[in-house]
Amino acid sequence: MTEDFEKRTREVLEESAGRLDGRTRSRLTQARHAALAQLAQPARHWWRAYVPAGAAAAVAVLAVVIWSGGPMGTSPGPAANPVEDLELLADSEAQDFVDDGEDLEFYEWAAGETES
Amino acid sequence: MTTSRALDQFLSSVEKRAFKIAQLGLRNDDDALDAVQDSMMKLVQSYASRGVDEWRPLFYRILANRIRDMQRRRTVRGRIMAWLPMRVDDEEESDPVAEAPSHDPGPAKRLELDEAIGALETAVAELPPRQQEAFLLRNLEGLDVSETARAMGCSEGSVKTHYFRALASLRTSLGEVF
Repeated sequence: MTEDFEKRTREVLEESAGRLDGRTRSRLTQARHAALAQLAQPARHWWRAYVPAGAAAAVAVLAVVIWSGGPMGTSPGPAANPVEDLELLADSEAQDFVDDGEDLEFYEWAAGETES
Repeated sequence: MTTSRALDQFLSSVEKRAFKIAQLGLRNDDDALDAVQDSMMKLVQSYASRGVDEWRPLFYRILANRIRDMQRRRTVRGRIMAWLPMRVDDEEESDPVAEAPSHDPGPAKRLELDEAIGALETAVAELPPRQQEAFLLRNLEGLDVSETARAMGCSEGSVKTHYFRALASLRTSLGEVF
């Protein structure tokens, strides 16, 4: 009983699949040929997929370097330069000058005299 | 035999049934053709070097995933379109030659088959997706339980359950026709 039903449904589905119209059969053939055409193309290495992204990143880095260091770039003040800040913090002589404090009033007076 | 020729023979042997499976799952000929073409492309692109015996379950696994993906997208699109005003499409011009059936078994037999095909396809299209997959892969494509399990990405026990339920449901709805 079950086998008869399965057999009958299989026959009907096979008949339906065999009745595909000309346009559908033609498009299936085209799809198959398009898929097989991939075999004729040279193998694509995985790393090639990253080449365009890598090139774009390199160009972007180069552009940033040129822009920030070139003559057209805005020049930040000395306090804004992180390299100079680092040098100042690492300069033990300057640190001693601030920490000492003994002659601070003298230096303030000297600076005032120079400005006037 | 070269890989290209073996693949050509394989794809040629499954394309019509694959289309039928996709058509019943998606209920749209163009979507079904897209699903079959995508599956062919993927099989050739990624699995051409595999053994010939592996192609069938792999191909149907790809196709089943593609159909499910398209069904999900359609559900999302349907939700979005429900908010938009209805649009009336222009009727497509039909090509009577292209749409002509491939063969004619005679008027009486043809009418009987037409009714059987219509009833069966309607009933199959209304099955839950997993039951539909199991039924079509086992019944139409003729995959065994093990191959069907690989194609569906589930256990053999699940395949048997889905298939049994599909048969029971179809027998209930098609009792008078079959």
